[in-house]
Amino acid sequence: MIIAERKLFEQIWESIKDRKSVLILGCGTCVSVCQSGGEKEVGLLASELRMKSKLEGKEIKIEEATIERQCDKEFFDSIKDKAKEYDAILSMACGAGVQFSAEVLEPVVVIPALNTRFIGVTMDEGIWAERCRACGNCVLRDYGGICPITICAKSLVNGPCGGSKNGKCEASQEKDCAWVLIYNRLKKQNRLDELRRWAPLKDYTTQTHPGRYVNEAYRKPELEAKNVK
Amino acid sequence: MQQAKKLLQEVGIEPERVEMFNIGASDAVLFARAADQMTESARRLGPNPLKKPRGEVK
Repeated sequence: MIIAERKLFEQIWESIKDRKSVLILGCGTCVSVCQSGGEKEVGLLASELRMKSKLEGKEIKIEEATIERQCDKEFFDSIKDKAKEYDAILSMACGAGVQFSAEVLEPVVVIPALNTRFIGVTMDEGIWAERCRACGNCVLRDYGGICPITICAKSLVNGPCGGSKNGKCEASQEKDCAWVLIYNRLKKQNRLDELRRWAPLKDYTTQTHPGRYVNEAYRKPELEAKNVK
Repeated sequence: MQQAKKLLQEVGIEPERVEMFNIGASDAVLFARAADQMTESARRLGPNPLKKPRGEVK
């Protein structure tokens, strides 16, 4: 899932303090799970902003809504008309959700309340870790399901480097060396011989952006639709 | 509780305004002590800045 964290309260306050009415818009998917932009977090931020505006003697109408996803336009139906009544929408979605909200709700001003961090997994209650850099050319098969692009600080495909010490990375003693993890995993899988091969240089052309993907089943209809236009 | 205090502080309200005490039903002395402590800090901090006195034009 996409992991995000809330911006500092002061930054959020600065971005909305001169507005007359703000709708705080939560997202019910990834950021709900990582406890940064779901319904509960919308409620907390709304309470904070209401208290702050009262303390500062400002009259800002602050309301709340959370939709299932801010990356699918169908889910905006319930708030689309209502959104026009606000000075600004404070989106608690990831960067994709914020941009899509601004696109779907145009010309309403959409302001981000979160910083999007990475694609990751839940390690423990309240702890998430990055697992994928969305490189577009997955090499996990060769490395026992441990991604050297993500976990190795240098994204080496032929590691380890000389900075690996006691299983830790030279970039940070708190970080495991991806290549020690890969070695141990392949050893458990009786696949150590696979480490003897040289991996070709990683093809980063798949990382050009903005990325776009059309499911094969929809390619023809999409082309036809373009021709009609 | 730490989170609640942090949120209040961010907004500009003294975090000491909220405390949590775990007191058993039979621990009257502890309850009284906690109530005294809260009363004392409420007096020290003064009225809640979010609440306007009654009768004041809002």
